[in-house]
Amino acid sequence: MYPIVLLSVLGIVVLYLGFLKSKSILLPATLLFLVVAMIGNFFEWNDGELLYFKGMFAVNKLTLTFNAIVLFSAFMIVAMTQGFQDNEEAQPAEYFALMLFSLVGAFMMIGFENLIMLFLGVEILSVAMYVLTGSDKRNLRSNEAALKYFLMGAFATGIMLFGIALLYGASGSFSLNGIESFVTLNQRSPSYLLYAGLLLVLIGMLFKVSAAPFHFWTPDVYDGAPSIFTAFMATIVKTAGFAALFRLLSHSFSGIYDFWWPTLSILTVLTLLVGNIIAVYQDSFKRMLAYSSISHAGYLLIALTSMTKQTENAILFYSMAYSFATICAFGVLIPVAREKSLEGRPNESYEAFNGLAKNNPLLAFVLTVSMLSLAGIPLTAGFWGKFFVFSSAVERELVWMIIVAVLMSAVGIYYYFRVIMAAYMKEGDTATIRIAPFYKIVLIAATLLTILFGLAPGLFEAAM
Amino acid sequence: MNTNYLPSDFLPIIVQFVLAAAFIVVTMIVTHRIGPSRKSKAKDDPFECGIEVVGNARTPISVKYFLVAILFVLFDVEVIFMYPWAVNFKKLGMLGFIEMVLFMALLLAGFYYILRKGVLKWEE
Amino acid sequence: MSLFLLVLIPLLPLIGFVINGIGFRHIPKGAVGVIGSLAALGSFAASVAVLLAFKEAGSQPQIVSLFDWITVGELSIPFSFQHDQLSLLMLMIITGVGSLIHIYSIGYMKHDEGFGKFFAFLNLFLFFMLLLVMGSNYVIMFIGWEGVGLCSYLLIGFWNKNTSYNNAARKAFIMNRIGDLGFLLGIFTIIATFGSVEYTEVFRQATGLPIGDPVLITITLLLFVGAMGKSAQIPLYTWLPDAMAGPTPVSALIHAATMVTAGIYMVIRSNVLYTLAPETLEVVAIVGAATAIFAASIGLLQNDIKKVLAYSTVSQLGYMFLGLGVMAYSASMFHVITHAFFKALLFLGAGSVIHAMSDEQDIRKMGGLRKKLPITFITFFIATWAISGLPPFSGFFSKDEILAHAFEHNKLLWAVGLVGSAMTSFYMFRLLFLTFFGTFRGTHEQEHHLHESPASMTIPLMVLAVFSALGGVIGIPEALGGSHQLAEFMSPLFDNSRQANPEAFMPISLSHSEEYMLMGVSVLVALLSGIAAYVMYISKASVPAPESETRQGVQRAVYHKYYVDELYDAVFVKPMRTLSNLLASFGEFFIDLFVDGTGRLVKALANLGRQTQTGSTGYYIFAMVVGIMVILFWNLLIK
Repeated sequence: MYPIVLLSVLGIVVLYLGFLKSKSILLPATLLFLVVAMIGNFFEWNDGELLYFKGMFAVNKLTLTFNAIVLFSAFMIVAMTQGFQDNEEAQPAEYFALMLFSLVGAFMMIGFENLIMLFLGVEILSVAMYVLTGSDKRNLRSNEAALKYFLMGAFATGIMLFGIALLYGASGSFSLNGIESFVTLNQRSPSYLLYAGLLLVLIGMLFKVSAAPFHFWTPDVYDGAPSIFTAFMATIVKTAGFAALFRLLSHSFSGIYDFWWPTLSILTVLTLLVGNIIAVYQDSFKRMLAYSSISHAGYLLIALTSMTKQTENAILFYSMAYSFATICAFGVLIPVAREKSLEGRPNESYEAFNGLAKNNPLLAFVLTVSMLSLAGIPLTAGFWGKFFVFSSAVERELVWMIIVAVLMSAVGIYYYFRVIMAAYMKEGDTATIRIAPFYKIVLIAATLLTILFGLAPGLFEAAM
Repeated sequence: MNTNYLPSDFLPIIVQFVLAAAFIVVTMIVTHRIGPSRKSKAKDDPFECGIEVVGNARTPISVKYFLVAILFVLFDVEVIFMYPWAVNFKKLGMLGFIEMVLFMALLLAGFYYILRKGVLKWEE
Repeated sequence: MSLFLLVLIPLLPLIGFVINGIGFRHIPKGAVGVIGSLAALGSFAASVAVLLAFKEAGSQPQIVSLFDWITVGELSIPFSFQHDQLSLLMLMIITGVGSLIHIYSIGYMKHDEGFGKFFAFLNLFLFFMLLLVMGSNYVIMFIGWEGVGLCSYLLIGFWNKNTSYNNAARKAFIMNRIGDLGFLLGIFTIIATFGSVEYTEVFRQATGLPIGDPVLITITLLLFVGAMGKSAQIPLYTWLPDAMAGPTPVSALIHAATMVTAGIYMVIRSNVLYTLAPETLEVVAIVGAATAIFAASIGLLQNDIKKVLAYSTVSQLGYMFLGLGVMAYSASMFHVITHAFFKALLFLGAGSVIHAMSDEQDIRKMGGLRKKLPITFITFFIATWAISGLPPFSGFFSKDEILAHAFEHNKLLWAVGLVGSAMTSFYMFRLLFLTFFGTFRGTHEQEHHLHESPASMTIPLMVLAVFSALGGVIGIPEALGGSHQLAEFMSPLFDNSRQANPEAFMPISLSHSEEYMLMGVSVLVALLSGIAAYVMYISKASVPAPESETRQGVQRAVYHKYYVDELYDAVFVKPMRTLSNLLASFGEFFIDLFVDGTGRLVKALANLGRQTQTGSTGYYIFAMVVGIMVILFWNLLIK
């Protein structure tokens, strides 16, 4: 609860700080605010299950952990925002404020106990993201991406709202508990209104986490948006989206598991196929990361589809591992692309990484660890993420799904290793890239965490 | 709340729908039928207060116009929240008053931001 | 004390990796080699100490738990090491042969600019390999398993300026991943069945299951798929010959002596499960025998010195699996040990030749090297003698033991093994004769440059030669008056299996005279093939035809490795590319499909929609709508 209040107010404070002449205070202030929110988040750590707003919003260990992942990712991404100072067009105060507001939306998606709350959260998060996507005003592709994202996002929101309305029509309640009791009461006799409502809400959420066949926006939008905001989308929106899906499916609709799992399993496999196979063909590293984010949505969906006792832990761990690795990947991409810029635009192709290791061993190393983690190689956090996801699927005996997933992760190695090869094995001349010390610390910290959780995944659970 | 409605319970709503739709259709047809209809060059011209038609209607309009319009809609909608509060003013008591003050404060904070950003300066 | 030593074994190479890996730009070359080799030697010393302590304590297997690693629901996986007869034997091979190869590399890689990186990777490999054999559960084994795969990938592509080397590295990695899929599924099935991944717990529960239980067959088959990938068995073997792109010490260490035997280690480790699944053992035996003869036949006509050795490795691994398939577990382990000695020696010898020949690998351009490289020649000769299975060197004992078991089990398997053995002898002697005998066929420059390798390279050769020659001592069969110490030492490992399936563990029923006969036959066959090679390549002094000459019939197929690579390319790689192409243009594909398929109506509607929306967004949404409709229809109407 505290982080929501804190960040709502502090977001406005950041907006006002933007009126100061010097823009240099914005970044440290935003980071400080995020730390404050993080502290606020842990205030309720030992309070067990709490409900706010007449039972519309819940706080418990699960939501607090998701909040912590989201906040931590946001902290790292904000710390990596460089170069707004020397860009005339940039509006750093507004960017930071929007990021903080979007976090509020993410928290609401994580802790909702009522579908209205979910809808509000989704909208707060999405609207902020639409604006941030188009924040590079002079770049035509950024504008196009923002417009596409907005149009399709609005469409998906409409579908979701329709679904919520149908659910209300069927059960007479917006709250998760109300719907759950309706579901358990009418387990025998199916209510088509409820089924249609559930499917539509699912579709709306699956759009947000870019699962196939609702993934079409992802490559274009991720590619067009400024890299830093792409990182934000790829990690925070995805984590919050899966948190919301998990709470929805594990709570209200666990009674009709038999109804929704076949659909979800087909979409999972489709997502895995689309994400991984198309990624192979990309020449742009950034676009590859977009497809990679689709494929990781697929892995996370495996955990959702199996919905066992392990699912909660699997989703938490996987989204954490995925977020850290993705942030590292973007953290390396941004300075490299700027260094190698072509005609004033950052060069985001694989070629930009050629020979990176020669003069920038740190960047190359960070990149390698993050790619290994995304590919799921042991001794990185990503491996355990996949391990937990797969073992929860085994518990449901969804072996065919694991076979697809493991085969696709073998395909994944192809495109993840391509950039490692480029960095270490291809000829190229990249001058030593200067990176701000704080930026460096964030990269190293995320890399070390990836390795640490790879060595001892038990730590994560111990921390919970 | 009774959740076990039968399809027949929705019949009144359907009837109302049909009536509403029928009314529109009937009015449209009837007005065309019974009204006199004369055609001439002057009558078919677009009506523009007697002034002759000049240029294209789709000219670019300053973005300020849209900003003001959007802001108007925003604040207009938010002010609507005052009505239910006014109705329940006594019942909500002090807590309601504080909540409303907070709400207004946030609105005013936004308004101040708009002013500082110079959104409402029409001249620049 | 024991705990400290035990942890030290994998820790030392890891420290070596960290020092060399971080500081390879700053540490002088001399120090890099010393640090790397000391790490390996230190770990060897620790292994010896642990082995001695183990024997002193009465040869009791022990599990040392370091910390609780992961807990997922009811499954908890500790990070612990198990040392028993099997892991100790593997430790001795890995650290022993590993140390020698480290020392050898100091000389071999001296002129390479990536010297520091090379030693760092080599140490990292040792670390993972040690993890693989020391872990007390399948998950640690899997970590090591993937780790060695990663190191092998890095080292195959070590000379990365060459694109085809990079492709070889990638091929090795991806082929291994296919195997890993099997292994991983095997582990998951074990978790689902036994609720644990600890060896002791799994085997304890497994003993209670009936022979031929379908679950066990599934598990063992899945694990065997993993072994097929790592140990290069049909059909997942083609990566190993390509892996020869790496530096020669790497080929010796990873692709001959240690990593590729991980599959055999895994099967022996899980011997209880395999003993209880006779059907799987049949598969293992057939795959092993087929690989043994298939790879050997390809080896007959290869002209690249390392390729010959690579196919020979695949073939020898086939023998080991043949041994496992007929439940001669300790015989297979015996062959792992002797093979580690003589194959490492062969590769290092080949490295010495390549070094002397200024990176020439084609045996058609060699010849008469025995005078210029005397030490290399003698050691290579010993190794050739050993691998051909000729007495009294080590290969004779281990290979004959496998063949004897195969004979008892199934005469056909034995015959296949025997033919393979004849081929082995032929291609090895062919290699020896073409390289070291006759007249020199290379350029003048190369001839001028010819020299014996430095001491850091020849000393490991000599040490390995001694072991290749005398290594058989640990397993002299009773028929020859020995006591087979190795089998005795390993015997406690199979207690569980023996208890679970006593019939299968009956002692060899062959009489001594039968055994003599078998030995006689195989020695004779090997000798005859050797003589055939002598006649062809020394008496007639023929040299294999150059690349350009067209070959006929069978010879042509064999020369081109039966076109297996081409087949894989056509069946798997190309369709994958096509599919990827197809999906990459999914957008257009979708548009085409719908625009053409549903005609003018859709076209008109799309046109209308496009006026309010930018470019393809409309189509995206259209695709989404189709998705939504399909989902709704399927769920609400059809299901």
